[in-house]
This record gives sequence, structure tokens and C-alpha cells, in this order.
Amino acid sequence: MSNRTLPRLLQTPAVVLLLFWMLIPLSMTLYFSFIRYVLNSLRRPEWTKPSLSNWRGFGNYEFVLNNKDFLLAIQNSLLIVCSILFFTVIFGILIAVLINKSFPGQGIVRVLLISPFFVMPAVNAVLWINMILDPVLGLQGLAVNGLNEVIQALREAPLIGWFFSLWPELTPISFRATQTSAIAVIIMVTWQWTPFAVLIFMTSLQSEDQQQKEAAILDGAGAWSQFRFLTLPHLGRPIAIVVMIQAIFHLSLYAEIEIVSRGNGNKNLPYLIGEFANNNIGAASATGIFAVILANIVAFFLLRMIGKTLME
Amino acid sequence: MGRIVLENVTKSFGDAHVIPPLDLTIEDGEFTVFVGPSGCGKSTLLRLIAGLEETTSGRIVIDDADVTEVSPSKRGLAMVFQSYALYPHMTVRKNIAFPMRMAGVPESEQEERVMAAAKSLNLVDYLDRKPGQLSGGQRQRVAIGRAIVRDPTAFLFDEPLSNLDAALRVGMRLEISEMHERMKTTMIYVTHDQVEAMTMADKIVVLQAGVIEQVGTPLELYRTPRNKFVAGFIGSPKMNFITGEEAAHYGAETIGVRPEHIQVSADSGKWTGKVSVSEHLGSDTFFHIHDTGLADTITVRADGEVSFKHGDTIHLTPREDVVHKFDAAGLRIT
Ligand SMILES: Nc1ncnc2c1ncn2[C@@H]1O[C@H](COP(=O)(O)OP(=O)(O)OP(=O)(O)O)[C@@H](O)[C@H]1O
Ligand SMILES: [Mg+2]
Repeated sequence: MSNRTLPRLLQTPAVVLLLFWMLIPLSMTLYFSFIRYVLNSLRRPEWTKPSLSNWRGFGNYEFVLNNKDFLLAIQNSLLIVCSILFFTVIFGILIAVLINKSFPGQGIVRVLLISPFFVMPAVNAVLWINMILDPVLGLQGLAVNGLNEVIQALREAPLIGWFFSLWPELTPISFRATQTSAIAVIIMVTWQWTPFAVLIFMTSLQSEDQQQKEAAILDGAGAWSQFRFLTLPHLGRPIAIVVMIQAIFHLSLYAEIEIVSRGNGNKNLPYLIGEFANNNIGAASATGIFAVILANIVAFFLLRMIGKTLME
Repeated sequence: MGRIVLENVTKSFGDAHVIPPLDLTIEDGEFTVFVGPSGCGKSTLLRLIAGLEETTSGRIVIDDADVTEVSPSKRGLAMVFQSYALYPHMTVRKNIAFPMRMAGVPESEQEERVMAAAKSLNLVDYLDRKPGQLSGGQRQRVAIGRAIVRDPTAFLFDEPLSNLDAALRVGMRLEISEMHERMKTTMIYVTHDQVEAMTMADKIVVLQAGVIEQVGTPLELYRTPRNKFVAGFIGSPKMNFITGEEAAHYGAETIGVRPEHIQVSADSGKWTGKVSVSEHLGSDTFFHIHDTGLADTITVRADGEVSFKHGDTIHLTPREDVVHKFDAAGLRIT
């Protein structure tokens, strides 16, 4: 036995396990996406069993592509994922840089900042949509009402009243509507995941070389130049990690969409899969394959973009 | 111009008073070396001059202008760090150009000056590499290049060679000395290596616990150390200190004899002892001698041809004209 064989042999169980872990669900999805397979059919009871004799070729894919919600779902998936990535990275960097300086109460502030991450997604969604974003009972409704009352009162005031009478009455935004429900999802997930980004960026900032900063100060770099030329490149890798992990998680968002609008005008791919899977497993599997392809494309482009701009 | 004056400068970190009131003048064009044991405040002093630390009290004056409150970048000084502190994401070219880029120098002039610096530092072939792909010596040269292009009033070096291997250190030492001869710019150089201090300096400042023990040319410090600390610190191997009766003969509390100022003989001499270890360097031989009744160990530097073995009896005679005498407070008696 050569000295390479033993380590290989010892690795084998893990590798085999991982292979099955990935391959079995993927190949089953592939298989189901090419056959007719439904959970319930009184007319064609033979379709309720997965079987090669129900082969449908690309029929399921065609069916999905022709579905009126499919394009919307892809657009929505991309919109939601990209917006969340954008905002969490920006807020994450800002907050991490801010709390990286030492100040009194630092420990408590850090714990508080991390805490949203420990809220369950479904609870997070319920809290946001009912208590904060609700146009009547939520903070938003109360705030808008309060503002309106203040403006109303100012209109009565002498001298400056005319100025405020030019202002329109504010109306609260309903975040359950077709056009706005995606925004609600973006807001609540950004709130929940910013701490994750902060956490990763903060650890990275602590390993930043202080002498490089001092050298830069002597070289005449101001705060912005130090951030742009030293800190940001230093954060390149952590940003890539945050983006990759979040992209994987948020492409499969489900709970928030269900709770905010039940997918009303706001479906993403997983939600569409869920709808199909109520009965049509074949179509759901085909959508699943589309989701896998989309995830790969997104990952590919994101990685290239980050690699290009930050790691010069 | 680059005349740097420290007036009554002090520095404390909380309760730790690292630099007690200190006065120092560094003349224009001088190569000044700060030496001292680890933790004596050399780096702190350098960082005070650079502006990276704020003085607790006192004034720092560069060319007749009080810069105590001036920001580091406006003081016109360039610093080379022990860890090089290169910007890891930029190529060598961009690293060297960085200070000019910050100062808004036009691109074409940047390129010109980068090339000039790269040529003088043998870096032309490496301009498009990242710091991570360079050897330690090359990185140090890039750091120096980055300092040169700023055309500073003074260079500050904080132990720039201590991460390099011995051979490279000697080479870089020469290069920095040559650079000083060529540019005639004020340089302040921190090291704890007294060989670097002796070979490079116009003026050596010996520090201990933030206090200046002596300022002078290398030979002044070697020939007339002001006290025992300086005497022991300058010179390699270290000076032998002898106390007790023998010192009393010289009318001193302690006498100091440099290893190179003792003659050895197999049959007669003033002092007698037994050879413990002999180190042959080829050109020289160092003997460590026990049982002299004078001190624990006496170190002697003899010619490379002289040969004694472990356990041999050896006779020693100091050169009387270069015996250093110190009083009870450790100060030199002249
Ligand atoms: N930021 C700081 N806070 C508290 N104490 C400090 C700080 N920086 C330095 N010191 C203390 O000041 C003293 C002098 O430090 P300094 O770095 O100047 O020593 P040094 O002479 O450069 O030593 P070395 O040769 O090891 O580099 C040390 O005792 C150190 O512990
Ligand atoms: Mg130091």
C-alpha cells in the first residue's frame, strides 16, 4: 500500500456520503422533471406514481416556461436577492467600521447589533409586516398619522401656516400590495441579515494591519483614502463570503413571502415551486432545475464582479 | 533642510511615563541612530517625531516651525517600518506612487519618479508584482522607494533591517548608508543592533528607559562612554566590568576593560584565569575566562592565530591607557 492510499481510503466514507447527499436529490429532481407525476388525478390515476412510462420529455419545462408567473418569479428572485445583498453589504461595512473604534458600552452595542440574526425568519416577517410596516396599526401608520397631525396643526399657525398648507396629506404605504410586497421582504431580510455581514466584516477589520494605516497617514491619505485603498480591499474576501452565503440563502426565501403576501404578485422561484408542488410534482421539479441553473449563473457573475472590483 | 529639535518632550501612556522630559537636536543632513535595549522608548520617540503619537508635553520643531500640533502628513517626513507596511493589494508600482497619488501629482510625473526610484533601488523588474510575491529585502526596498519619492525633509527608519537575514542586513546597511551619502537628507534610524549603530551613524543617541544616556559620534561613545550603561552597550563583545579590590587600585568603584584591550599570554601577565570556552571566528578568537577572581567571566578578543583549549591557564594584561574608570554612581571618572 503506497503512503497515499491510506488517507484516500479514510476520506472515502465522507466523500461517498457527500456524493449521495447531493446526487440523490438532484437526480431524483431531474428524473421527476422529465415525467408526468402528480399527487392527485381522478382522470389519469396512472400519473400519481413516478414511472418511466409517464415520460414527458421537456414537456414539464415547456409548461413551466409558458406559465404566466414564471418570468415574474425569476425577476422577483433576482430583485430580492440582489437588493438584499446590496443593502446588507453596504450597511454591514458602515456599521462594522463604526463600531470597530473603541467607545464606552461597546460590548452591549455589539450584542444588540447581532441579535436580529437570532430571530426566526417567520417571526421576523410577522413582526415587521404587522407591527412596523402595517399602514394602520404598525409604526408606519402611527408615524404617518402623527406627521399629518403635526402638519395640520402647523397650517393653523400664523405667518408660516401658508407654507405648510402647500404640503399634501401623507398617506401610509401598504406593503401587502402587489407592487410593494417585494420591498417589504427586502426590508425585513436586510434587517435580519445585516448583523451577519457586520459580524464577518468586524472580525476581518480587527485583523487589519495598523502599520499599513500609519504608513498611509504619513503618505497623506485621509480617512476616505484609507478606507478606499486599504480597508475596502482588505474586506474583499469577507465581502465575497457574505455575498456567496447570502445568495445561497436568499434564493430560497419562502417564509417571508408567504407571510407578507401569500405570493400575491410577489412570487419567487421557491414560492412557485411550492405552488406547483401542491399537485404537479413534475412541473415543480422542472422549476427546481431552473432554480439550480439560476443559482449557478448568479454565483458565477457575483464572484466575477467581486473579484474584479475589489481584489485588483 | 531638515533640522529637528525636541524641547522638553514627554510622553505617557496612562500611568506609564515612557519618555521623561527630553531635549535633543538633530542637525540638517545628519544620520542619527537611536539605540537602546528593547522597550526603552526608541520607537515611541520616532513616532512622536513622525506625529503618529501625540506628545504629552513639550515641543517638536522642524526647520524652525513648531510642528507639535501639525498632522503627520504635513510634517514632510517619510517613515520606513520594521514590518515594511506595504499595501498588500497594490502592485509595487502603485505602492511607490501612492504618496504622490495622494498629493495629486500628475500621472506622467508619478511614472517618472517611480521609475527613477525603482532604478536606484534595483526594482525595475518587480514593478508589476504584489508585495506578497517579493522577498524580504525587495519589500524593504519598496518601502524605501515609497519614502524616497516623497522627497521628504527627513527619513525615519524603525528597525528596518531586523526582519532580514544576516547577509542581506549587511548589504542593505551599505545601501542605506550610500543613499544617505548621495541624498544628504536628515535620517533618523532606530535599532537595537549596536553594530548597525556604529557603522552607519554620524551621531548615536543611547537611550535607556526613555532617558538619553549619551549623544555623540560612534567613536566618542566607544572611547569615552559617559557611564557604565553606555560603556556596556557600545562595543561587541561587551566590555568587562571589574569591581572590588582590583578597581580600587585604579581609584574607582568599577573599572571597564574592552575585550580587545586585553593581551593574552601563556606564561606571564597581570591577571590569571582558566579558559572556559574559546570561539574561533577565523580572524579573531574570543576567550571566555573563569576563575580570575575579578569577575564571573572575562571576555578577551585575541588574534585568530592564538590558541588555548578549555581548562588551559591563561595570563591577561590590560592596556592601561584604555582602562575605563567609573565611580559608585556608574559615571565615568576622567
Ligand atoms: N500604545 C502604548 N500603550 C502603552 N504603553 C506603550 C504603548 N506603546 C509603547 N508602550 C510602552 O512604552 C515603552 C517603550 O516602547 P517602544 O515601543 O518605544 O520601545 P522600543 O525601544 O521601540 O523597543 P523595541 O526595541 O523592542 O522595539 C514600552 O515599555 C512599552 O510597553
Ligand atoms: Mg521598537
